[in-house]
Formats: sequence, C-alpha cells, structure tokens
Amino acid sequence: MSRLGMVIDLQKCVGCGACALACKAENNTRTRAKGQSHNWADFMMRTEGTFPKVTHWVLPVLCNHCADAPCVAACPVTPKAMFKTPEGITMHNDELCIGCRACQNACPYSRGELDDASLNGETYSVISFNPFGEDPQPQWADKAAIIPGCTASGAETAMKAGAATPMLNQFVAGDVDVVRKAGVVEKCTFCYHRTSNGMQPACVEVCPSKARIFGDQEDANSEIARVLKAEKSFRIQEDRGTKPNVHYVGKYSARA
Amino acid sequence: MKLTRRAFIQATAATGGLLASGCATQPVTSAMVVRNAKSAGPAKGEWVATCCQGCTQWCAIKIFVQNGRAVRVRGNENSKTNHGRTCPRGHMIPQQLYSPDRIKVPMKRTNPAKGRGVDPRWVPITWDEALDTVADKMLELRKNGEAHKFVYIRGRYSSTATGLLYGALPRIYGSTNYFSHSAICAEAEKMGPGLTQGFYGYRDYDLGKTNCLVAWGCDPVSSNREVPNTIHHLPGILKRGTVIAVDPRLTNVAAKAHEWLPLKPGTDGALAGAIAHVILTEGLWNREFVGDFKDGRNLFVAGKAVDEAAFAEKETFGLVKWWNIELKDKTPAWAEKETLIPAAQTIRVARAMGKAAPKVCVWMGPGVGMNPRGTYASMAVHALNGLLGSIDVEGGVLQTAGGVPIGAFPKSDAYLDDVAKGAGKFKKLDGRGEKDMPAMMNARPGSGVVTNNIANGMLKDPGACKVLMASWCNFNFSCTGADRWDRALAKVPFFVYMATDPSEMAQFADIVLPSTFNAAEGLSVITNTGNLHGYATIQQPVGRRLWDVKQEETEVVWLLAEKLRNKGFPNLYDYLAKEFKDPETGKLPTNDREFSEIAAKISSAPIWNAKEAPKGDPQIKGWAEFRKRGMWSGPNYSFKRGWGGKFNTPTKKFEFYSEAAKKGLEEHAKKFNTTVDDIMTVTGYMARGELAFVPHYEPPKRHGSAAEYPFDFIDYKSRLNREGRSANLAWYHEFKKVDPGDVSWDDVLKMNPADGRKLNLKTGDMVKVTSPIGSMTVKLRLWEGLRPGTVAKCYGQGHWAYGRVAAKDYAKATPRGSNNNEILVDDYDRLSGSTARNGGFTGVRIEKA
Repeated sequence: MSRLGMVIDLQKCVGCGACALACKAENNTRTRAKGQSHNWADFMMRTEGTFPKVTHWVLPVLCNHCADAPCVAACPVTPKAMFKTPEGITMHNDELCIGCRACQNACPYSRGELDDASLNGETYSVISFNPFGEDPQPQWADKAAIIPGCTASGAETAMKAGAATPMLNQFVAGDVDVVRKAGVVEKCTFCYHRTSNGMQPACVEVCPSKARIFGDQEDANSEIARVLKAEKSFRIQEDRGTKPNVHYVGKYSARA
Repeated sequence: MKLTRRAFIQATAATGGLLASGCATQPVTSAMVVRNAKSAGPAKGEWVATCCQGCTQWCAIKIFVQNGRAVRVRGNENSKTNHGRTCPRGHMIPQQLYSPDRIKVPMKRTNPAKGRGVDPRWVPITWDEALDTVADKMLELRKNGEAHKFVYIRGRYSSTATGLLYGALPRIYGSTNYFSHSAICAEAEKMGPGLTQGFYGYRDYDLGKTNCLVAWGCDPVSSNREVPNTIHHLPGILKRGTVIAVDPRLTNVAAKAHEWLPLKPGTDGALAGAIAHVILTEGLWNREFVGDFKDGRNLFVAGKAVDEAAFAEKETFGLVKWWNIELKDKTPAWAEKETLIPAAQTIRVARAMGKAAPKVCVWMGPGVGMNPRGTYASMAVHALNGLLGSIDVEGGVLQTAGGVPIGAFPKSDAYLDDVAKGAGKFKKLDGRGEKDMPAMMNARPGSGVVTNNIANGMLKDPGACKVLMASWCNFNFSCTGADRWDRALAKVPFFVYMATDPSEMAQFADIVLPSTFNAAEGLSVITNTGNLHGYATIQQPVGRRLWDVKQEETEVVWLLAEKLRNKGFPNLYDYLAKEFKDPETGKLPTNDREFSEIAAKISSAPIWNAKEAPKGDPQIKGWAEFRKRGMWSGPNYSFKRGWGGKFNTPTKKFEFYSEAAKKGLEEHAKKFNTTVDDIMTVTGYMARGELAFVPHYEPPKRHGSAAEYPFDFIDYKSRLNREGRSANLAWYHEFKKVDPGDVSWDDVLKMNPADGRKLNLKTGDMVKVTSPIGSMTVKLRLWEGLRPGTVAKCYGQGHWAYGRVAAKDYAKATPRGSNNNEILVDDYDRLSGSTARNGGFTGVRIEKA
C-alpha cells in the first residue's frame, strides 16, 4: 500500500500565492462567502518580533490527508462520504455527502465558520461547505450588468462561454464533481483526477520555487521519502495524533 | 440507523439542521474506511502559447484551452526566463479575461456633463458609428490646422502598439503629442546605470551565479521584474550567499533575507554613500574593474582628500574625484543620522557585499529613484555595482541581453503630407525640455516623457488638447495628484478611450471602444530580457472572443484608417494597405484581421523566416511553428560588454564622475542661457558645483512639514497587481494577505504599534489620512513590519468606476478602499521626468475618523 503525501520546503516558499490560485482554477472552487473560504489551498502567515527585529513567516496549508483522519471517523453516512483511498488520500464523495458538516467539525484544520481572522492568515479551513439551497457559483448566475446593454454580466459571460463558469476546468469527475452542488462539503483531493493519471497536483506543478514535493512516502526511492529522511520536518498540530501526511521542512526566514 | 443524503435532507428540513439542532440525530460513526476512489481524469484540451503582460517582464506563457475557453495558465516550458512557471499574476488571466464587466460593444456618452460621480448615460453603438465619429473629429482638427491638438496616450507595449497606434497613426496624421505611460512607473531608476555606465535600461541579473543579492527599494520576488526567475533562484542564493533587503517596509524579500535595512524613506543615497565609504576605506573594491593605488597602499581614509594621480583606474573614470567630492565624509556613523540604520549594520552589509564581489547584484528598484531627487539616489545605488566590479560579469549585473531579431515595420516617410512633416515644430504637452523639466533620458535634455505632467499642460492650456485618444491607461486613478486628471479630462472636447473594462478614465470619455484582452485575445509580438537571455514571445488569441471587441493597436488602426480614407485622408490607409506585405506569401491585407496577422508576422519574421538561423534557440521554421512553440530565446549573455573602454559614456568608462550628466546639464543650461547651478535650483535639487556630476546624497524633498504632517507615507505595489488591472478580480481580494501586513478583502493602512500607542489608535480603527492635497479614510492595522514614523498602504484600491468588485457601487461611484494617488502630490524627478511616488516625499497626519 502506498502513502501519498506532500512536503513543503519553507526555505523555498516565498508565500506568493500561485499554488492557491492554481488550485482554485484547477478545482473550480467558488469565491469566499458566509464564513466558507472554498480555498482548498490557503495560507497562514504572521509577523513576529518588535521593529526592527522582525520576522514574517508564511505557511501554506491544505488538507493533511491524515492517516487517522477525524473527518472520516466523523462521517455518519453509510457508506461513508468521507473515506480513505488505498493510496492514502482522504477522499470525498459528493453523492453520498449529506452536508451534515460533522467532518468539518471534527477536522483539526477546519472551522465551521471562518471569521475575520482568516483574512489576515490567522485561521483557515481546509474543508468548506456549500450551503443548502444556494447556487454554488453565484457570481456566474448574476444577471446584473453595471452598464446595461454595454457591459456583460456574470450569467451572460458563462452563457457565451458555454460552461457553468467561463473558465471551467472540465475534468473527468469521479467521487468529486467538477462543480460541487449545494449541500455538500469540499476539500483537497491531492488532485486525484490528475495524480491518479500520472500528473502532479496543480499546486505542485505551478510552484515557481519548486517548494512542493508530492509522492509516496512508502517508496524509499521517491523524492519525498528522501527529503523526509534527510531533513528535519514537522507537521501541523502533530499532537492531535491524526498522522497528517503533509510535512514541512526548512525555515521561512533566514533571520528566524 | 443508516444515514443517507436523502434522509438527512428530510430530517434537516424538519429540524432546521443537524448542527443547529444540537445533533438531535446522533450520527453513527466509525474508524477509517478504506475503499477505492472512483476513476477520474484530467481535463482535456490544449496549451496555447501567449504572453502574460501582468507586469513589465512580459513572460512567455501558455494557457490551457478547453472548448474555446481559457482555463488555466503556466509558464511556457521553453522559457529560460520563467523556467516554465509563472508568478501568481499569471494565474489570474482567465478571471481577468472573463470579467463580468467586460465592455461588449462600443458605447457613446449621452450626458455632456463630465465629472466624478456624473453618470455618462452610456448607450451602445456600432463600430461603424463610433469610428465615423472619431474620424470626423480627427479630420476637423486637420482641416482647422490643429492636427497637433490630437493627443494620444498609451498604456501597454508590444511591437504593434509601438509601431502602429503609438507610431504610424500620430506620425502620419501629424501630431507629436503622443505619450507613453513609462514615467509614472520607473524611469528614474534608468538614470543610475544611464549616467554612470551609459545604459539607460532595466538591468538583468545573473541570479544563478550571484553570491549576494541586494534588493534595494524593490521586492523582486513580488514585483518589479523577473519575478518567477527570482523566486526560482532565491533559495540557492540564500543557501550559498547573502540576501540583503533595503526597504522601510518588511517586504517579501525582506522576510526571507539575512539582513533587512529598514531605512528612513528617501535616504537611500546616504546609505549607498556610507556603503561606498566602507568599501573604499576597507579596501573592498574590485581591483579588476576599478584598479588600485599605484603603490598599493589604500589612501582612502575617512575625512581625507586623495590625490587623483595616486590611483590608476581600469574600467572606471573619476573614482578619486567622487571620493573627494562626496564620499570622504560619508561615514556609516554620519549615515546613521540620516538613514536611521545602525552604523554597525551598514558596515556588516558593506563587508558582505565586498566579500562576495564581483558576484554581487545590487538590484535597484523604483523605491530608490521615484522621488523628487531620485536621479542622484539612483546613481549612488548603482555606482556600488561599479565599485564591486559586478558590472557585466558572471554573478553580477547585466544589460539587456538583446540578440532577438525583430522585423521593423515598413517606412512611412512617403505617406507624410505637409501637415505631418510640420508637426515637429509644436511643443509637446508634457513640458519636457522646459527649464524646470530637463527630462534628460540618454543624457539628452528634453528626450524623456513626463507622463504625469500632461494633465498640468492640459489644465494650463485647455485648448491644447482637442481630441484625446487613450488606450489601456487610467491616469485619473493611477497618477499622483489624480484629481488634476479629473479636471483636465473634463475639459477635453472629444475623448475616445479604448480598454477592456469600465474605468475611472472611461467615465470622462465621449466614445469607448472595447478592446481585446490582449494576453488572451490580442495578436502581437513581445520582446524582453531575463536570466541572461533576450526572447520574443507571441501574444495570440487562445480561445473564442465572447464580445464585439477589437484589438486597439491593429484592428482599430486599420478600421480607423479606412474611415479616414473614406472621408478624404487616405495616407494612413495607403501606408497600411500598400506597405504591409505578408513575409511568407507577399500578400497585402484587405481587412483588419488580415492586417493584424501580417503585422505580427512582420515583427517576428526574422526569427522564423530567416535564411540563416539567428543565434540562440533551435531555428523555428515558419509562422505556424512560431505560434505553436510560442517563443524564441537568443543566445546566452556575453559578459564584459562595456569593458575595455566600450561603455556608452563620454569617457567610454564606467563614470563615477559623470561626464554624461555634466554634458546633459550643461547643454540644458546653455539652452536657457544660464548655469548648471541655476538649473539645479529651479529643478529642486540640492547639489551645487561639481556635486551635480557625481552620485551623491540629496536630503529627501518632502511635501508637508514634519510638524503638521509627521508621518512619511509609503506607497507600494501588490504582488497580485497585474499592471494595476486586477482590482476587479475576486482573487486579488481573496489573497491580498499574500502582501505582508495586508488583509484580504480590505485595504488597510499599516502603522507601527509604537506610533499607535502614542496616538491611542488600535487595529481596526477607521482613520483619516491627510496630506497637503487631500485625505482618505481607511482601516488601520498596527504592524511591526514598518519603521515608526512611517505609514504604508498598498496602491491599487479605491476604484470608483472599475467594475462590480473594484468599486463598492459603480452606479453611485462609491469606491472600495482608497486611492493613494488622491493624497500623493504630483511632483517629479525632473532630471528624468519621472513621477515621484516613493521616498516619503508626501507627509501625512493620521487622526481617528
């Protein structure tokens, strides 16, 4: 059995945001609303110290694909909507999901409702929820034009483009739909539609500093296994005992 | 109990939700469940090559296209400059392309009243009607002998932008009043390398080999230039060498760096002088480039003049003069009083730079030069590269790589009538070359554009601009003293504006022509340099056009030329229709789209249509292959170009004593029958005598007294900026926090907590920021990443007419956030003509709102 995971090298990361933007494009996640970020990839950041002895760090975050995933344990449906794959991915099935958000409550890396602290990188949530009874891509359903007759609208743009969202990445859906419907949670799948076909996750592929390594930790010859063996690493909230599979190496700041 | 989606939804409908009801239905849970995921697969489509233009690097990229829709973005894998990866800006292209506020059709103003907050009462019109009106207005001017009162302002670059809309159109029509936007961006930084080594351009850096990167007044992992390349190389430099950041604000590179020097804004010249002083007194200069004392003994001792004859220079000129005129007393202890940087840190940094020499990159950005005395700061900082011998060497600071053959458009001389030939006798509206505005780019007085001064020219003489054409710019938002532009634009009798989306500038237009979004819909050829290679990249349509838009610099030029011909002025049309031959087939264009393609083919033909392959990447055979591959890179940089007496300066050496500055200033003074000292006085510089010819420290000029306006205001750019065109994108706001200190979906003013305590202000307070020319109300964030005595806010928000996200309410002209340019004074580095926006040149006071 394999154990897929990711290493993020903080010495290489410059906190630019390319990973999170590529994730949004690849997975068609909607814009933040009602305490849900819909950012499967996001960041924590903090400035520490007193001027001029100040450091600043950024920590890219995503679903940790925990080996003992509380979200899976908490999923109340049968069969479970949130489950582990043999490769070690924490996967979600949209059809089975009942939108109870027990997974979101159970996950140490998620919050039911994000507040303003998430806007400056203090908090985040790797699981987001698409509210019941609401259009899951509201900006593309909006028919209003700011200059009627002259400028477009979201709805007209999507209609002319011929897709639910004009820039829709129409991948071949498995457990997770291309655009999630109302009343289901959503989160990172390690880009299962890509990685199960020999490709890298979008966030890994685009990183301009190559700070992210994705692979099988059980394969001693894989880059991820070699890096984890060679370098000191940590995981977020390791003490919760969930055995996260996203690791961090390196220091963000040379002055820290 | 077996819980299913249907059962749950029924239950929640009855109880008002599982969570809300306190888990009335106790869920059945169990441990890990392992099962196979359902088969899934990646999206199918193709990657089409184009050019980003989200900053001035103009990266070669590819866009993933599915069913004619642009979906995702990556770097062009053939790029030696971005290594196949883009910075965050590139990923925002599809969102910008599919802005829900794209202008779909030409529109016409029906409300003659113009002003901020005045509804233009737009109505849609046909391209035919729109261009008929524009042609009529242009020809009316010509008929009245006022062709020079046609003014064109541009906001983007490409071969076709430069050669056609900015080139052929005004030239053949007969106006010299065409202006580029460059001087509001970074022109002052060209003066440093220009007046020392004769290179008036943006430098390239050998980041793969350097052992010391000094990011000075810029944040090259976020903005400025070569962002993906810098991100790519930074970890290596951090590992093997030293990274030093000079900026009053904790930038991204400052967060990563070994040393952060948060100097007082505008004192860069003092810090550079002190570093030079240490390099010389400690003997750390590069002998191979600079030379040495004839007897080998270092006579550079603080406070002591040196005999010029004692030093034998190699590739440089005037080192001892510079020492005697400026550097001998500029000790780190002296500089500490100006810069507020501890002398010990200045010494430590100078030693690190000296140790790494010549593999040092002193990377100067707009923070150094874009202030009212910026030319000299720019010279002082760049001169460090001279001392360290890092000019044009491995691991050092390079010039434009070049080596990219681009095809010139046909000559237009034969199509110039008497009006066009006589256009040169009229003065340009931007005041360049006036006594108080030398604008001496290339050391030639009056040769540089003074973009932001156009508004002053228009206000001074309201009859001077009768027909204004502008494309891809938004000067009543993006220029300091923005309200001057509102007033100037309101007085223009006829204004035609070309852009993709509504904007503040569009609000003053009479006709708006919807442009293609050129990174994904345009067709042109873009060249640039980075990571030791020059390159050319295609910019081409990647999918379907959704709207009735046209590329302003090619298609519109053609269609307008047709209209002008139909109305009796055939010259422009004849030039385009008779001279632009397809390099492959020899065919002439018969319509706008054919013309557009032929123009792009002419620009790029030397790359793919040459008998002899140009040196560089493997030869590209044919236009189709060029479009598919998307780019071509020239050969590796050849080092030491100017060495051996080949620098493009009067002495042919790297000039620490600038004979170029002397020549330019004396020429300018002579034109006004006065002295260089008098020119220094009227242009606001402090130097007198020989000091005007050497890199030196000028105390910062500041609008607003320290008593009344105690804080230095710092304006900076977001790494999500996309040339100032991303404020209407949700993703810009969602990830605004990637700019250190900033808050997503907000536009906060940062202040050091120590200042907050003094003023009894806390994070979240609304504060009023007042400068001598205006005020804005913003949310405060106390933040340690900023020097006390300064406040900082990012440029880019405060739009009142830029779309549904950028403006809080477009119909009511209510902005989201605040525009720094409404409080920043319009002032200039007059030697370059650049607009001041850095260096703490505008003081502000902060009060609780």
